[in-house]
Amino acid sequence: MNPKFILYFAWYYGFYIILRGPSYLVASLSLPLTLLFMVTIFTHGTLIAYAIAGGPIAIVAANSINGAADAAFFRIQIRIQDLFVATRITSQDYMFALSLSYLVFSLPGIALYAVLGAYFKVFMLSSALQIIAVLVLLTLTISNLSFIIAGLLKHIRNVWGITAILSIIMTVLPPTFYPYTFLPQGVIYILSISPVTPAAVLIQGIVGLEPFQVSMIFILLIETVILTFLGRKFIRWRE
Amino acid sequence: MIEIQEVTKRYDRHTYALKGITASLRERVTTVIGRNGAGKTTLIRILSTQLFPTKGTATIEGLDILKETKKVREIISSIPQESQLIGILSPLEQMQLYLMARGFTASQAKEESKHALDELELYDYRNAPSDTLSGGMKRKVFVAMALAAKAPVIFLDEPTTGLDPLSRIEVWSAIKRLSSKIILTTHYMEEAQELSNEVVVIDQGNIITHGAIGNLLSSFGGKMRAEKMDGEEYDIKIANVAIKYIEKERVDEFIAKGYDIKRINLDDIFLSKGVMLES
Repeated sequence: MNPKFILYFAWYYGFYIILRGPSYLVASLSLPLTLLFMVTIFTHGTLIAYAIAGGPIAIVAANSINGAADAAFFRIQIRIQDLFVATRITSQDYMFALSLSYLVFSLPGIALYAVLGAYFKVFMLSSALQIIAVLVLLTLTISNLSFIIAGLLKHIRNVWGITAILSIIMTVLPPTFYPYTFLPQGVIYILSISPVTPAAVLIQGIVGLEPFQVSMIFILLIETVILTFLGRKFIRWRE
Repeated sequence: MIEIQEVTKRYDRHTYALKGITASLRERVTTVIGRNGAGKTTLIRILSTQLFPTKGTATIEGLDILKETKKVREIISSIPQESQLIGILSPLEQMQLYLMARGFTASQAKEESKHALDELELYDYRNAPSDTLSGGMKRKVFVAMALAAKAPVIFLDEPTTGLDPLSRIEVWSAIKRLSSKIILTTHYMEEAQELSNEVVVIDQGNIITHGAIGNLLSSFGGKMRAEKMDGEEYDIKIANVAIKYIEKERVDEFIAKGYDIKRINLDDIFLSKGVMLES
């Protein structure tokens, strides 16, 4: 592991995009904020707590899945991955650095939702660590999914379309913005094929909106392990 | 020294990028030349541990690229042909990341990056987002990365493609000052002659000739090249240009026939082997 490289890469690539390309930040916030607005209007505010609790999940998931476009772009188009292959860093360093940069890029959105959550008394300081742990796991899991997608692509042209579709499916279909109890338990398990589902169920449990489901911890952990393993296989570090 | 042993790269059943090439690259600067698709980049990527060979292997300073990959990566710096900068980051930031990946501390990486950028006249642009730089400047940033890395072995895949003549001279000058072993690919014959001690000529996945430039040129036995559009006497005809290799004593005779007379250079090694370079 090369932690200094990972931290510098994450900071440079995560933070400087916010500073030098703020439109990307606004774009990443537009879907969760729009859904927050719609849920609030259509439910007359009764489900606003769910939309606020799901906001950080949607932001982290969308930014991480969009990472597939970065990973494919770096490997196929601008060959930055090749540049790093012939150095001392490993594929894990590179993947971890990219994943962490998505988390850094998500920080302003998470901070915005933290403020909203505090104002509407959805998030308590006591549950902050648990929420952060879920968001970190979700970043790792979805980033690795994005490395798998990027590794499967031979051409860059389809990647933006694929990530846009996946981003919507993975953030809107799971119980991110509505109570997971609206769904039969069997459907929750089916939707758990997307790591966003266990993350959303866990967050709703952590903030006390719905019963806490311990099984979702295991599902999220298992998905993290499997996708991390597959991500390493598909990154095509040395082709 | 780099020893290449029977290296083959096959992409599918019928497509071979390299067909079992073997060579010893002993000189400090070696240039690999060949047409587009000849296999130059594939060879560089295999030697740089970016690509697995289908068969065969190679050693770099005694280290096997397949069995001792980690150690090989510690002593090499490789700049891919098609690499582009991340537009949103500055040259200094990207060089710093690259050097940190090569094991430099953050402060060392910053200092070495500034020095190399200064050497290539890019210091004033060190903090500008890379997408504001010209194509030539971007290419020079990659050369600066290789210079700053101070690796014992450097691979440069077409380092001067797209550079203006002045920038090419700056890059050549920087490369000449290095003490590392350098393997570079190029389309430009003058670049190979200017920088390298030996050349490897690749065509369709095979090495068609390899050796010190002086030895390769002396194989022409002091002949000159006579060429004429639609000339009737020729050894090689490319499009409508007739090329004839003649003894010095026949120069006047061919001038009288309307031929232009030129000194033998690396182009002629290509031409005489039946390979025509696009540039």
